[in-house]
Amino acid sequence: MNLLALEFPPVNHLFDWPSIWFEGTFYAINKTVLIYLGSMLVTMILFGLAGRQRESLVPVGVQHVAESGVNFIEESVVMQTIGPDGKKFMPFLTTMFFFILFSNITEVIPFIQFPANSRMAIPVTLALLVWVIYNFVGVRSQGLLGYLKNSLFPPGVPWPLYLIVTPIELVSTFLVRPFSLAIRLWANMVAGHLLLVTFAVLSAAMWGAGGIGFGGALFLSFPMLILMTGFEILVSVLQAFIFTILTAVYIGGSMHPEH
Amino acid sequence: MFNLLAQTGDELVESGTEAGEFLTGLEAIGTGLEAVGSGLEAVGAGLGYGLAAIGPGIGIGIVVGNAISSMARQPESAGMVRTTMFLGIAFTEALALIGFVVFILLLP
Amino acid sequence: MTATIRRLAGAFGLIGALTVLSAVPASAVGETPGTCIFEKVLEAENDYGSVHALEDPANKDALAAFEQELDTCEEAPSLIIPEIDEIIWGGGAFLILFGFMWWKGFPAVQGAMQARSEKIAADLDAAESAKTQATTVLADHEAQLAGAKAEAAQIVEDARAQADLVAAEIAARANEEMAQMRARAAADIESARSQAVSDLRGVVADIAVGAAERVIKSNLDIDTQRALVDAYIDEVAASNA
Repeated sequence: MNLLALEFPPVNHLFDWPSIWFEGTFYAINKTVLIYLGSMLVTMILFGLAGRQRESLVPVGVQHVAESGVNFIEESVVMQTIGPDGKKFMPFLTTMFFFILFSNITEVIPFIQFPANSRMAIPVTLALLVWVIYNFVGVRSQGLLGYLKNSLFPPGVPWPLYLIVTPIELVSTFLVRPFSLAIRLWANMVAGHLLLVTFAVLSAAMWGAGGIGFGGALFLSFPMLILMTGFEILVSVLQAFIFTILTAVYIGGSMHPEH
Repeated sequence: MFNLLAQTGDELVESGTEAGEFLTGLEAIGTGLEAVGSGLEAVGAGLGYGLAAIGPGIGIGIVVGNAISSMARQPESAGMVRTTMFLGIAFTEALALIGFVVFILLLP
Repeated sequence: MTATIRRLAGAFGLIGALTVLSAVPASAVGETPGTCIFEKVLEAENDYGSVHALEDPANKDALAAFEQELDTCEEAPSLIIPEIDEIIWGGGAFLILFGFMWWKGFPAVQGAMQARSEKIAADLDAAESAKTQATTVLADHEAQLAGAKAEAAQIVEDARAQADLVAAEIAARANEEMAQMRARAAADIESARSQAVSDLRGVVADIAVGAAERVIKSNLDIDTQRALVDAYIDEVAASNA
């Protein structure tokens, strides 16, 4: 694919990493897997360290990061969507938030520069997990028939409309939800990575072309790259937040059908 | 008789050659059409994404605009409005993202 | 303020520089299909001796196969289909992380937060109770002070009232005494006067009677009479004195 006579790599290859170890097996390890393991370790270390130092009155360092994360999940996610009885989902939502956040934020970390969630693996796994969880919660708190009735025949709708509403609800609740959840995260990360790669390649090529290209690289594409890097930090955090809060919304909807 | 036969044979060979050339020409046209098709695919992908971005763009604008005006009216409920705004953006954005996915899938 | 801005700008610049420095090799070189094509070409050279051998019309089928192989180099697996190894590792990592958080990480952090908020609440409560206590003590003191002041004022007032009372009493008594004295004096004067009047009346009568007696007794000349009256008056005066 030639873009402005640059050698721009084919899009699929930007996301396809060769296996490093165990090539060809089902447990092959590549860069994406390493990032997943890394974000697992970082979250573990963060919470391990934060839980250790109990005595100080004012939270410092990692303790502050972990505690403000937990506080944020509690105040802006759980209390706003599920309510006080959603507290039991706090560990799950916190884990999910930090895991997705650290897998996203590698997008802008120098020398890694790849959002692990631009591979479909974790988005789709987590979305299916969320699907299982909110259906399970719905069946458990309303009973199987009550859950199906409340989600397929939403109360307060005149009965002829059920002809239209019920198929829509069936498709949107049980089919579209998990995939839109997965695709939202995945596509945001793919788009972000594409943007960053585009501007990085453009900067390098303009700089290499010399002449007027120096100016173009210095004043156009490189500032744009920096701006986009900042924007992608925002997107990484926002997508982790949105994934978490949508999970909470779905769980809350299964728990309290009246909302 | 023989001459006639020979002549017919020659004509047949000639027309066979012509047919072969014709087939080769058809093949070339086919290859060309294939290239045009893949080009059209790319055009369609780009156009499709562009079209898919219009609606969500307007929708997100409406969502954020109304969220801002309600935040300005009632600053004390800004936190709740912000959360709901992000939810609205997420639902609206899904359409644009589906367009983006189709774009990625259609890329040659 | 400016130092903060300068530091921020420096950090931003550093991050940008690192981004570009590392982005170019990572994205532009590492991910091209070039290595794949190169590998295929090497394979073909191994099989046929040279890539140019494939240009021979006899090797038409082999050439087609080779082209197809090269095409697979361009086609990476579809973006949207998840890889099974990534699902296994990523899902496993998430489950392990969730297990850790459920078991240890989250309760520890939440426990620390709760302990802190409880401690703060307890501190606040203690401060509140101390404050209430202090307020009570202060109010107590103030009440006592006010009591003492009132008492002092009462005492002073009492004393003043007492003094006034005493003074009034004294004055009244003095007045009364004075009035009594005055009345007594008046009475004395009155009685003295009436005494004197009656005395005088008696004396005058006596004198008149005596003088008349003398005059009648010795019918004497004028000189003798005058001498008699004078002698009588002197006598009376001497006896009255």
